[in-house]
Amino acid sequence: MKKDNVAVNNPHTSSTKSEMKTKRKISSRTIAFYMMVLPAFILFATFHTFPALQGIYYSFTNWNGISLDYDFVGFKNYINLFKDTVVKDSYIFTFKFAVMASILVNIFSLLIAVGLNAKIKGRNFFRAIYFLPNVLSVLIVGFIFNFFFTNILPDVGEKYNIEFLTTNILGNADLAWIGILLVFIWQACAFNIILYLSGLQTVPTELYEASSLDGANTWQQFWKITFPIIAPFFTINMVLSMKNSLMVFDHIVAMTGGGPGYETTSISLLIYNGGFSGGEFAYQSANAVIYFILIFVISVFQLKILQKREMDM
Amino acid sequence: MKKTMTLLAAGALSISLLAGCGGGEGSSGEDQVKIEFFHHKREGMETIDKLIAKFEEENPNIEVEQASPPEPSTVLRTRVSKSDIPDIIGVGGDVTYSDLANAGVFTDVTKDKSLENIQPAYVQMLKDVSGLEEVFAVPYVANAVGVIYNKAIFAELGIEVPKTWDEFISVAEKVKEAGKTPFFHTYKDAWTTLPAFNALAANTQGDDFYSELNKGNILAEERYKEAAEKLLQLSEYGHKNQQGVGYNDGNTAFSNGESAMYLQGIWALPEIKKANPDIELGVFPFPATNNPDDINVISGVDLILGVAASSKHPEEAKKFVEFLLEEENAKQYIDEQNAFSAIQGITQDDPTVDDLKASFEKGSLTDFPDHYIPTGVMPEKTLQSLVINKDVDEFLTKLQADWEKVQDRK
Repeated sequence: MKKDNVAVNNPHTSSTKSEMKTKRKISSRTIAFYMMVLPAFILFATFHTFPALQGIYYSFTNWNGISLDYDFVGFKNYINLFKDTVVKDSYIFTFKFAVMASILVNIFSLLIAVGLNAKIKGRNFFRAIYFLPNVLSVLIVGFIFNFFFTNILPDVGEKYNIEFLTTNILGNADLAWIGILLVFIWQACAFNIILYLSGLQTVPTELYEASSLDGANTWQQFWKITFPIIAPFFTINMVLSMKNSLMVFDHIVAMTGGGPGYETTSISLLIYNGGFSGGEFAYQSANAVIYFILIFVISVFQLKILQKREMDM
Repeated sequence: MKKTMTLLAAGALSISLLAGCGGGEGSSGEDQVKIEFFHHKREGMETIDKLIAKFEEENPNIEVEQASPPEPSTVLRTRVSKSDIPDIIGVGGDVTYSDLANAGVFTDVTKDKSLENIQPAYVQMLKDVSGLEEVFAVPYVANAVGVIYNKAIFAELGIEVPKTWDEFISVAEKVKEAGKTPFFHTYKDAWTTLPAFNALAANTQGDDFYSELNKGNILAEERYKEAAEKLLQLSEYGHKNQQGVGYNDGNTAFSNGESAMYLQGIWALPEIKKANPDIELGVFPFPATNNPDDINVISGVDLILGVAASSKHPEEAKKFVEFLLEEENAKQYIDEQNAFSAIQGITQDDPTVDDLKASFEKGSLTDFPDHYIPTGVMPEKTLQSLVINKDVDEFLTKLQADWEKVQDRK
């Protein structure tokens, strides 16, 4: 790639015949590269960039989603957003959920990955088992757990006289989010385990041998060798799980529908509900714009901080 | 390279030829027309399938396809926003109708003769809910909210059907004393708080509620107080896990005799009977106040039939609407769905809803109050919080604030 750039950047140096030939060859190769990128670029632009820009446009109108005409209202939607307690609560819920989820997901998946990386019996079998949740549809998993929390757990609680299990926690205003969190972690771990596993395989075994000669115990080995070396994987896992849990949607739709009340209404669920069934397309578009900016800022911030840590190590 | 291009071109050409053939076939074969009927009555799909089969037999050149996805209102709104509008639309006489009518989605039927046989009360409801003088759809089916009760349990405990609020509470008290559950609440599904709240609010909010609303005065805070308090009182007579179970669980539990009464609309009857065909059910008017003569049964337009203005086959679509409105077919629909017809002269004779019949004959009916609350307010969410947090004042201020906020955003 670097060679191409040089040739393209210095077209005047190519004066001899042989150089001319190389240049033509290279430029046709560059075109081929562009052609390869083109389909993805067109698809991305049509189905992602263009609708996103449309959303920004609608956020300055009062369109309800179906009427034929609408007016421009300037920043009214944005001002109203900051006055809306429902919106405020959904941001609080989403951030509480995302912080808890990304911390717990990373702790559990790192632990499990370390275990699955060790020389244990049936390693491949366990790897497959732990990866399974990732290939299941989130909605179906959500409905299954919904049934589990609604019908099975209360029966178990009834049978063994465990008081707090006898009612469905998804119907409890204070505990519903924990039910969703559990299912979210169970499912999200699968993918992060895979990433951590591939990270753990990059750690050279000689380091462990050398350190054990120096008398380091397993705990020290983990913190001084394993963890620093897989730091890039930690970064990407933190960023990905934070982003995924900020956008939590399917789990909630399948399990609580945002209830009780607004207790488990995440930002994306609110945008969807308010925008499509609530007839507030423009207003929720404004919400989506704010939400996009927030996720963008957080991801950049996380990358910056965590990458710095990678360098320090 | 050249060869591939030729091949590709040849391929593309032959495909377009095929497409040409397909098109030709369709148009030459006696003008076969396909229309789509989109409706929100998933419970009624089987019945509608039967009616469609009958219609297609009478009109072999018309093919009717029915669509009834989950979350119909959302799906319909999305489709309308991308101009992919079904030929015939069947939604409730609620805010969805109002939004669609105001957006100019339907053909005007104000002067159409299909409206002549419809109960004027229901036509008026469509005008009220949309705030328009014109009518854009034919009311087809009406529903009602009462108190569904298990006749066997009532007979066993020797209880009479209550006529007033005080009697209602004492019935609940008696059932509770007998060690049974008076009401099977299903608060996990937020919307299941609405039927009872509608019945209470409609009878206690005051007659001038809507006229004040049309003047721009939102009175949720002061006028809904009694309804909210009464709803809370009813929530005390539920079961232990009432916050954790949903509508489907409720239908099953009630059909198994787990509670004496069930606060739902008559749309739940087919589901309950499906789960337990032997159950003896009855429905009595919701005794919302202590003045039995003033109690109105909540009855709204459950299914409208509107022809889309953008339909490519308006004639055929209209034909299908007229077919559904024919007495025989309308009767079949309400018989199988335990609903009430919006058409004059067609009565629901099922003994289950006998107790409601008097109210229908007297005309002491009133519309669902939540049909007038903008969807963005989502009153069901606030009601769900009310029955959990049990704070009436918090509920009233929140509902009022949400309503004003949504109004302000328009």
